[in-house]
Amino acid sequence: MNVIETYELTKFYNKGKVKALQDLTLEVEQGKIYSLLGPNGAGKTTLIKILLCIVHATKGEAKILNRSIKDPAIHKKIGYLAENHRFPEFLSAGQILYYYGSMAGVEKSDLKEKIPHLLKLVKLDSWINTKIRKYSKGMMQRMGIAHALINDPDLLFLDEPTDGIDPVGRREIRDLLQKLRNQGKTIFLNSHLLSEVERMSDEIAILKDGKLLEKGRMEDFLSVKEQYQLRVVNGKVSLQEVCGKIDIPFTVTGDIYTIAVKDEVQLNHLIDELRKVETTILSIVPRKLSLEDFFIEILDESEKR
Amino acid sequence: MKFFSIIKLTFRESFAKKTFIAFMSISTLIGLLFIFALNLDIVDGAQSAVSLFGIDAPELVNVQDIIEGVEGAVSVLLFTAGIFMSLFATSSLIPALLQPGYVDLLITKPLGRMEILSARFIGAVAIVLFNIFYLILLTWLIMSIKTGLWNWGFLLSGIIIVITFTILYSLMTFLSMLSGSGPFSLMITYLILFFSPILLQRDNIYALLSSKYYGYFVDGLYYFLPKTAELGNITQQLARNVTVSSWMPLWTSLLFGILMFALSGLIFQKKDF
Repeated sequence: MNVIETYELTKFYNKGKVKALQDLTLEVEQGKIYSLLGPNGAGKTTLIKILLCIVHATKGEAKILNRSIKDPAIHKKIGYLAENHRFPEFLSAGQILYYYGSMAGVEKSDLKEKIPHLLKLVKLDSWINTKIRKYSKGMMQRMGIAHALINDPDLLFLDEPTDGIDPVGRREIRDLLQKLRNQGKTIFLNSHLLSEVERMSDEIAILKDGKLLEKGRMEDFLSVKEQYQLRVVNGKVSLQEVCGKIDIPFTVTGDIYTIAVKDEVQLNHLIDELRKVETTILSIVPRKLSLEDFFIEILDESEKR
Repeated sequence: MKFFSIIKLTFRESFAKKTFIAFMSISTLIGLLFIFALNLDIVDGAQSAVSLFGIDAPELVNVQDIIEGVEGAVSVLLFTAGIFMSLFATSSLIPALLQPGYVDLLITKPLGRMEILSARFIGAVAIVLFNIFYLILLTWLIMSIKTGLWNWGFLLSGIIIVITFTILYSLMTFLSMLSGSGPFSLMITYLILFFSPILLQRDNIYALLSSKYYGYFVDGLYYFLPKTAELGNITQQLARNVTVSSWMPLWTSLLFGILMFALSGLIFQKKDF
């Protein structure tokens, strides 16, 4: 089931002089972590804001959880972490979750249970009564995540969730998002940190200048067909010589050999040959691109077009 | 509950900015003044002596006149200084609502934009209503208990003060929607507040105009803009138990307020954040 569907979604500013988003059509399946990538000004935040009705689309249609985005009632099942959220500074974390939880339609009795639990989850439980003006940037971000989860949403929109958070905190957030995904929640993510996106996303979409350049499953984009990376301890004959004998091209980076085979039969033939010459195979893994490489490649291609 | 949460949050904001406390402190001070400084000696329902800070009034005055005089003075004070301070204290509430990062958090809740704006607006009016009626009820109770005479018109004058504030606040909301600036909307609202007595003298202005069309324009302005000077008169008349000669200034000003709020809602609905 699709939880987000957009059809030719378009947003122009200044009577069409600024094209923030152009004819964007995409679908997001339930229970996935879907990430939006793109350089600054690509239209990522605009898309999230249109889906949440913070910005109105110039053209096109969109549905969330099978209902029009114009219906505010759908927000009851949505959590949102804004990029530059601004909570009232005179409130404490507990008060913020209380007020905004009430606005989200959570019952008072539920809030009493949920607030300490959520603050513990984002490691702010010892700060529950401290005014947020005393919080660091990372703490504010964790506060924002707790706020996004207060109504136990089915769909989470997170705009730069790990912004300002240290590496340990980032890992904790990543684990939390994966846990939420495993519970069947859908996470729509916008992040500049490609390594983070690569580690947790199921699907991605790449935007540039408001246009969709690519969309699809992460593993489809990053795996390179018929290329493998080997780590070996050479036996009687070196790996280079074995590859040369059976005509397999290779490159070496440090102690990693990257080979390009015609098919799996040729890969197995190579393994047999290596065994014959008593080579110890430490690992064989399919070669993958990094998300950064793929991202740069896609942007370069779009420049050339 | 969702709607009331925004109203409650608006109250909290007012508390945090100390404006609420400042209002209540001033009102309490005035109340204490009436409790301790104003001394009335009533004998058989008629006043025998009156003193303020221990200084006796030179002449004997009727108790009814004293009550209407004191309560009329409080209503004038609230209509002028009270509304002036209330507008100042609440001027930042709508621009704060519109701030990026703040408004997003509200729009993404299961509330329509009109509900959000209405809750914020009602929150601001409720703050002023609470403060105005705190002083009015305090004064009314003290005066009535001291004299045994209960002037209900004084309570009605409080309603007119709050309505006048609401009308002016709807103008300020509209201006904040247009400009996003609290100081700008406050200045223009003050201008309208003080422009009303000038328009009330339009019979004298006609004589200075070179064309009858300018006269129509002045008339148009008079009927369109809120008539704060006349609303002030109505407030006083109610406090002094004088029959109000015309309610036209109230309902035409109310129409202006409704129009301003409706336009504010329309702008808020269409706005991108």
